[in-house]
Amino acid sequence: MRAYAIAIYLFLYAPIALIVLFSFNSGLSASDFRGFSIAWYGKVAGNRFVLEAVTHSLIVAAASATLATLFGTMAALALQRVTGWLRAVFDGLTYVAIMVPGIVIGIATLIALVTAFDIVNDLLLAIWPADDPGAVPQLALGYGSIIAAHTLFSLALVIVLVRARIAGMDRSLVEAATDLYATPWGTFRQVTLPLILPAVVAGFLLSFTFSFDDFVIAFFVAGSKTTLPIYVFASIRRGVTPEINAIGTVVLLVSLLLLFSAQILLRRGAKPTRAT
Amino acid sequence: MAKAATSDDSAKRRRRWTALLLAPAGLWFLALLVMPLAVVVVFSLGERAPAGGYAPALSLANYLNLPARWTAFRNTLVLAPIGTLVCLLAAYPLAYFLAVRTSPRYRLLLLILVIVPFWTSFLIRTYAWMFILGGRGLPALFEWIGFGEIRLINTPLSVLIGIVYGYLPLMVFPIFVSLERLDKRLLEAAADLGSTPWRSFRQVTLPLSAPGVITGCMLVFILLMGEYLIPQLLGGGKVFFIGNALVDLFLQSRNWPYGSAVAMSLVILMLATVTLYLRLTRRYGGRDVSLL
Amino acid sequence: MDRKQFIQQLRRYQKGSISRRHFLGVTGLGTATAVLASAMPELVWPRAASAAEIGDRVSLTTWPNYHDPANFEAFTAKTGAAVEVAVFGSNEEMLAKLQAGGTGWDVFVPTNYTISTYKDLDLIQPLDLSKLPNYDAAAYETRFVEAGSIDGVTYAVSKDWGTTGYAVNTAKVTEPMTSWKQFWDLSMDKYTGRTMVHDYQLTTIGNALKYYGYSFNSIDTAELAEAEKLLLAAKPHLFAINSDYQPSMRSGDAWMTVCWTGDAKQMHRDLPEIVYVVAKEGGEIWSDFYAIPKEAPHLEAAYALIDFLLDPAVNAKEVLAHGYPTADSRTTALLPKELAEDPIMYPAAELLAPLEFGAAATLTDPNRAEIMARFKSA
Repeated sequence: MRAYAIAIYLFLYAPIALIVLFSFNSGLSASDFRGFSIAWYGKVAGNRFVLEAVTHSLIVAAASATLATLFGTMAALALQRVTGWLRAVFDGLTYVAIMVPGIVIGIATLIALVTAFDIVNDLLLAIWPADDPGAVPQLALGYGSIIAAHTLFSLALVIVLVRARIAGMDRSLVEAATDLYATPWGTFRQVTLPLILPAVVAGFLLSFTFSFDDFVIAFFVAGSKTTLPIYVFASIRRGVTPEINAIGTVVLLVSLLLLFSAQILLRRGAKPTRAT
Repeated sequence: MAKAATSDDSAKRRRRWTALLLAPAGLWFLALLVMPLAVVVVFSLGERAPAGGYAPALSLANYLNLPARWTAFRNTLVLAPIGTLVCLLAAYPLAYFLAVRTSPRYRLLLLILVIVPFWTSFLIRTYAWMFILGGRGLPALFEWIGFGEIRLINTPLSVLIGIVYGYLPLMVFPIFVSLERLDKRLLEAAADLGSTPWRSFRQVTLPLSAPGVITGCMLVFILLMGEYLIPQLLGGGKVFFIGNALVDLFLQSRNWPYGSAVAMSLVILMLATVTLYLRLTRRYGGRDVSLL
Repeated sequence: MDRKQFIQQLRRYQKGSISRRHFLGVTGLGTATAVLASAMPELVWPRAASAAEIGDRVSLTTWPNYHDPANFEAFTAKTGAAVEVAVFGSNEEMLAKLQAGGTGWDVFVPTNYTISTYKDLDLIQPLDLSKLPNYDAAAYETRFVEAGSIDGVTYAVSKDWGTTGYAVNTAKVTEPMTSWKQFWDLSMDKYTGRTMVHDYQLTTIGNALKYYGYSFNSIDTAELAEAEKLLLAAKPHLFAINSDYQPSMRSGDAWMTVCWTGDAKQMHRDLPEIVYVVAKEGGEIWSDFYAIPKEAPHLEAAYALIDFLLDPAVNAKEVLAHGYPTADSRTTALLPKELAEDPIMYPAAELLAPLEFGAAATLTDPNRAEIMARFKSA
């Protein structure tokens, strides 16, 4: 069994090792090792389009994860005391949002937005008090559309996670707080929030990861905003240079760093209470 | 709860709060799920504009033409379940090893190591497989060993390898979680009572891990049904999934109405299979299986 | 300067009634930027002192292996605008993106048969030739540039031209190859799993039509049905359907591929065993252009980039890198003499004669689009 586990880990890490190895290739190609060099890291650092793509991805991921976590947690809290048709509708929508493949979300958002933009933009052109048509604001695909589409999927994810946590929560604590005349807000802050926090944090992290790595939705609705996965996809088409490997390695290192610092922080915070 | 709801006033206030809390999510679902899907339905009844795109019409022609994408549907409906199954078979022993056989000291680290690949861009990892499965990768190695000429890239097998690689961690995690909850004393008790390891596994471990298995399979299956990148990069445009057919219809042949019909069918197919799946597995999963 | 004045200046700058330099000067931001730049040069992108006012970027959407990257660096050094290159696989795909809107493209490279459609759909703008001083219509061979002008208005200027034949790795494929008939027959037989075709309708369907001796541009339903039958029969035998075939040919995964002039030239340069065949039945001759989409966000930069690339000295470097012949006699005069006799770039007259320019009708024909899509999803 141990041998099997080792084999799986090899399977998981061989491609990553290859990515890291070729990021140090001095040659031009990502498949033909010519010698050791860190030149590609310099190239990445000096490539404004890579830095921009990373910035776009970070902004989109942070915005959509924040919105999804906020709205999703709010909805999950409200849903615990909702019954009847409203609950059925929300359950259904959450279910469908998770079930609909990303590619369909991308396509549906694209054609809906393009149709809506056509109408709104014509309207704007007609009513805007300016002579120069170039000065009339026009809606277009971009940050808004990517963030909106990513938030949709993440929102459903957060609702499910937080509701599962609430379902497993000890209701008596909330009732006890109410009996002790705590204000609703006080009850929420001191009892409910700490209890659901792990699910909220998990929801945020999952949403962020999903958004940061999403290609297929952004592929349709990004307009001219290049996110990191779109940049990488374009690079694969342009013919891959070790620059892509360098980007991959940096992303990996940064996430590892975040992971281990979170780990250390958690361990420090949790030490006194952790029994098992 | 009953006490707080006695007066009309507080009930009203509570209802207002509930509405306020639900409003943003509700609006989001409405504007970005219900409306776009409605537009897709409308488009799917239209026809292709002369230069491509959408022209209004009211016909079922696009749905009647669905058999023209039969191979893409078949590939998806065959490779998605197979991929899910292979993921499960590969993930279960690992999850079991991590949850039952590893000392708690290393468990977390090993678990993290399963998830770390997720933080390297999915695209870049899949690209690495393009190289490994390509002529200069494994096939060259096999030829050198003396297996003769083997072609891996752009075959269903290479797509399957990409699938298992990409989604294995998603399968390991839920199974691990359900196995970790398992009380090891149950296994010891079973062993004490003379049960063989295989029998204890079958009668104790397996049923207890069912919720994790069911959740993991559903997660992977859902993602595979809409897969585009893996067949695109490792299938060389030869192993087409519905996702690829969709991209092709929207970004090459510019047949939005037909693409909308294919997209709707995918959604319906998806809801049908997953609902059926949840029905069938409910008695094994008990109440532990939620949506995710 | 108080806040109100600043906002006023900013508005004027945004409207374009004052230049960026004026804006930066008036508001004092210029000084601030200059100080910042001298303190931390690595934080500010390199910008030549004499930079024209074209902004710091321009996006170019083009084909694989189609430029000399050094030329882009030279452009950036000269103007301060960095070139963002996106690569597409087909005109059909470019059209689909432009139709969906919001591309952010400044310059793209359409092929002759697409330009009238772009114009009809109002997706490209007429070119202001006064902004392209390096363009000299008289220097170009007419048949390669005429598709760029419609009713006397120039919508696109010539980039280069070429043929679509196929490339063969002669180390693996031993037969002397001369025809599309051989190409398809051997792909389905002896060299199964080793052939690549393009990922778009024009050449893939066109060259299947050539198998039967039909016109490359046919939109006749019966002829197309025959072509589809051939394509479906060949599908299981193909290595891949992909317009970027160089990596697979170079690695030895694929042995034959439908191929454009320049790709053949580039591969042959590095791997002499890869040769180029212009099939005797005919096929495609084409010309590519530079054009500017209607909604190009960086119009001045778009003109600057096109003009830069049309400069014969720059264009000559492009040709040396990509290996496609140019229709510009000024550029050709700068190229080494032996290129004029290169059989890949300039196939023999009897091979050129039967070639056809792609027809606009193929681009919008729903039948060809659907046959291609069916072929891919089969």
